[in-house]
Amino acid sequence: MEKIVTRHFGLGNSHRLESYLKDNGYQAARKALTQMTGLQVIDEVKKSNLRGLGGAGFPTGTKWSFIPQANPKPKYLVINGDEGEPGTFKDKYIFELDPHALLEGIIITCYAIGSHKAYIYIRGEYIKSLERVQAAVDEAYKANYLGKGIMGTGFDIDVVVHPGAGAYICGEETALLESLEGKKGFPRLKPPFPAVVGLFGCPTVINNVETIACVPPIINKGAEWYAKLGSEKNGGNRLFCVSGHVNKPGVYELPNGTTLREIIYEHAGGIPNGRKLKAVIPGGISAPILTPDQLDVKMDFDSLKSIGSMAGSGGIIVMDDTTDMVWAAMVAARFFAHESCGQCSPCREGSGWVYRNIKRLYHGHARPHDLKNLPGIVNNIGGNTICAFGDAVTMSVGSYVTKFRSEFEAKVNKEYAESHH
Amino acid sequence: MFTAEYKQELDKITHKYEQKRAALLPLLHSVQEKEGLITPQTEQNLAEYLEVPVVHVHEVVSFYHLFHQKRIGKCHFSVCQTTACALRGAEEIIEHIQERLKIKPGETTSDGKFSFGIVECLGACELAPMMQCNKEYKGFLSKKKIDELIEDNS
Amino acid sequence: MPNLIIDGKQVEVPAGTTIIQAADKLGIDIPRYCYHPALPVSGNCRICMVEVEKQPKLQIACYTPVTDGMVVRTNSPKVLEVRKTILEFLLVNHPVDCPVCDQAGECKLQDYYMEHGQYDSRLGDVKVKKEKKAFAIGPTVMLDQERCILCTRCVRFADNITETHEFGVFSRGDHSQLDVYPGRQLDNNYSGNVVDICPVGALTDTDFRFKCRVWYLAKTKSVCPGCSMGCNITVEWDKMRPHQHKKARVMRLKPRHNPDVNDYWICDKGRYNYRFIDENRIQHPQHNNDIISWDQAIDTIVSVLKPLKDSKRMDRVGALPSASLTNEDLFIIRKLFTDTLKGARVDFKVPEKPGDTDAFLIKADKNPNRAGALKILPSDMDAAQIVQKATQGEIDLLYVFGHDLVKLFGKETVQQIAKSVKLFVFQGSNVNETCSFAHLNLPSSVYAEKEGTFTNCQGRVQRIWPAFMPLAESKGDWEIVSMLSAKLGSPCAYKNSQEIFDSIAATIPAFFEMNYEKISDRGMVLKAPEF
Repeated sequence: MEKIVTRHFGLGNSHRLESYLKDNGYQAARKALTQMTGLQVIDEVKKSNLRGLGGAGFPTGTKWSFIPQANPKPKYLVINGDEGEPGTFKDKYIFELDPHALLEGIIITCYAIGSHKAYIYIRGEYIKSLERVQAAVDEAYKANYLGKGIMGTGFDIDVVVHPGAGAYICGEETALLESLEGKKGFPRLKPPFPAVVGLFGCPTVINNVETIACVPPIINKGAEWYAKLGSEKNGGNRLFCVSGHVNKPGVYELPNGTTLREIIYEHAGGIPNGRKLKAVIPGGISAPILTPDQLDVKMDFDSLKSIGSMAGSGGIIVMDDTTDMVWAAMVAARFFAHESCGQCSPCREGSGWVYRNIKRLYHGHARPHDLKNLPGIVNNIGGNTICAFGDAVTMSVGSYVTKFRSEFEAKVNKEYAESHH
Repeated sequence: MFTAEYKQELDKITHKYEQKRAALLPLLHSVQEKEGLITPQTEQNLAEYLEVPVVHVHEVVSFYHLFHQKRIGKCHFSVCQTTACALRGAEEIIEHIQERLKIKPGETTSDGKFSFGIVECLGACELAPMMQCNKEYKGFLSKKKIDELIEDNS
Repeated sequence: MPNLIIDGKQVEVPAGTTIIQAADKLGIDIPRYCYHPALPVSGNCRICMVEVEKQPKLQIACYTPVTDGMVVRTNSPKVLEVRKTILEFLLVNHPVDCPVCDQAGECKLQDYYMEHGQYDSRLGDVKVKKEKKAFAIGPTVMLDQERCILCTRCVRFADNITETHEFGVFSRGDHSQLDVYPGRQLDNNYSGNVVDICPVGALTDTDFRFKCRVWYLAKTKSVCPGCSMGCNITVEWDKMRPHQHKKARVMRLKPRHNPDVNDYWICDKGRYNYRFIDENRIQHPQHNNDIISWDQAIDTIVSVLKPLKDSKRMDRVGALPSASLTNEDLFIIRKLFTDTLKGARVDFKVPEKPGDTDAFLIKADKNPNRAGALKILPSDMDAAQIVQKATQGEIDLLYVFGHDLVKLFGKETVQQIAKSVKLFVFQGSNVNETCSFAHLNLPSSVYAEKEGTFTNCQGRVQRIWPAFMPLAESKGDWEIVSMLSAKLGSPCAYKNSQEIFDSIAATIPAFFEMNYEKISDRGMVLKAPEF
């Protein structure tokens, strides 16, 4: 399999400009700026079937085409490096090991959408990433790959590295914009969408780190080549993150459409201590949990959607048969309760309530009607909120209750129920 | 009020943004780096400098977990408790830290050397169970590793 | 203009109107917490969700603009179900303080719950505790963080209306807390308004705290007499338990919505200036220190006035009406003092120092009816001169309407008047320093006991309604002057203030074509070039 995003990982000093230049570094940007129009770049990316790798899987080229070119306001590109989805850690590697690939992708994307300013939002805990990316930006400015009239093409572009400060919700694109603007990460009401009213009220494209890092290869080698890799409507490879009960947790670049079974057993070394797989999260904590009978699913956006889950951020968390699923549900519910921004009532009150409910179940303090009520309460959050966080709580936590119902039932303490009517 | 020189330093960051207020998060990081925490005086200084109502600066400080309004230890452990780390023993790590340092999450040791907090996913699940120790990620934690880290930072 | 159907009823509204605004126009009340017509939309409470045909998900009515041909249902089973859901979530951590919460009876959580709630509670958990309960965040407002549903109306009010930025929501998730900036207070001139807009009992009025249950309150429309802005208000008074509160009737004032005058707001001074309605009132006619009857009082005046009238020495009569009287009061005063007693010296323009003012609702002129007085009692005379003449023995009858001459001219001047004038009459509602110098004190009613009109600084004529009968033996100002006029042999034919106003409208050009019905509760602007 041809390595695309990870092609430079493992090379010494891969984060340095001199290393990046040794492998056609910035040639795709030069090609785009000198041989293509912005519209042609957008078309190419559309044809490649590149889809957003942050979680939503939205066709990237299509997203870029939503920018209203006639709008006189400046356009912005914002790179979503908040990487907060539990189970996900791939963008960290791009930041630390190949930041110039990201910068080159940024140049091409900005050119395509008519933007001259990009912000790279990196979660505040990623200290090394912040340092590496800033260093790469500094190198790029010095060598005129960023700044005024880059590479002698006359194209101006500025890039600012911006730190987050510890809030998962800032991974939601409009919450990220709010955070970038110096406010709390409260997702915005939509419409308008960022393509029309985004950063500072201007048309904005927000893309994940990995998505943009895929752009230079697409320009260099062509959309057709990229589309042929991967699945029918989901071109290219992606970085799968595997963690939990596996022998070799880590980042694995594989074609979209690789089966979950292959990823877990052939690449991540299978389950340690001879144990069996009990459950697996396929695409970050927000994705509905899967059971062993679903391991042959193809890991692409459409296939996972068809079995009631999602490809999401590519974060695969494996649980072996020692795992108490009520406990696992509690851990997930606790995550959501801690990360709810608190803006709208169903999520603010509901995420805390669901967590406390499952916690009581886990510790044996729940009565029969607590379990009876739980699915209803969980279901009431999604669909009624300002952003998809509410939907994630419903789908994610709900999936544990649905698929492992018997474990929840076993936790209902009948003695407690009798004595605490 | 910030001193004129400090303002010049902050200007370097602020000038990168089309709107002044957008510099708030990086400036809070910068001040916290210098002073160790965010005080009400800092909030007021930033409010004045960025022309943002001070109540909204305080909202930001209270919303984001990386900003501390109380002084933390010289060595601060942020231990992850989310799914991948939880599956690989985060609970035992947390218990062990509590036992060794004799403090609860959110507390600092009386000599000011250690503090710890429990956080959600830090984006390093491949190193589970893991934590952030000051600026560095420390993974594949064990009771022994914790003891070593405490020893090294005492 | 888009045409849409809500619950089977058609309505046409300007483009850009949201569903909730269109529904309001139809009189369909979609439940709402965070939405307020005067504040930017927040969309966080989610209770206004409605069904929009062809949309798979419910939409929030406060933010969704109408489109032509849109079909909306605000009471379908889906919508009713989601309302139950939202209410359930809002109650998860709500302390249900109803028995000790002032909001009870006008609480939107109670109201919507009774109408749409789940009734069978499934809450079995400990509620999240928050820091501040019954905490004074300023001189006028108490905060209870646990009752707060985080609708952020108060935050948006302080950010957009007063631009004083006191409020913020700190922390996140269900530990979010509404508060003022630590160490700061809510003490701007409009602080009381946040209590009005808070849909629950999180922000309550300290002045009203534990005073009276709202279901005992009767509400009467009126206009604030505090300055020439004439903010529309509702006088809220205890009709059921008059023996409480040391016999005070008025429990509070609330602003009344008028988009042309004060929108939804009132300044704190106006809001809390109601105690004079029940306290420190002149209750009986008094001659020097003796309580006398009205007949005796009127006779006393006539005994001085009639000889002057007969001897055509009206120049020895001085009258100082007030720009705080209603148009109707002033018209009857005009009828007596400038028509019947032609030649009398009449002027209302006492030398008052202008008060504080701001760019919003507070006007420097602390009289509610100067514009009306200028039209009804135009004169080139000077009140200060009249007072001067009174000290010099050139006035036999000085008739003062409400002014505290001691404050305006000094104690010595008033002492001199009392010595030099044959009959010094003070007609007013509340006791002030002048009363002890006046020979005759006549108790008049306050604005809240009157029917009439005030004309504000915009030239807007606005109606006031009487909440209750005048206190003790006090009477309306025009009623007293009418009695005097009748005893003098020139009875006024008016049976009520409406008839007086009709006369004003027939007599004074600026008021032409006005009547009470047209004025209604929104007001009408005078036909005069300066307005």
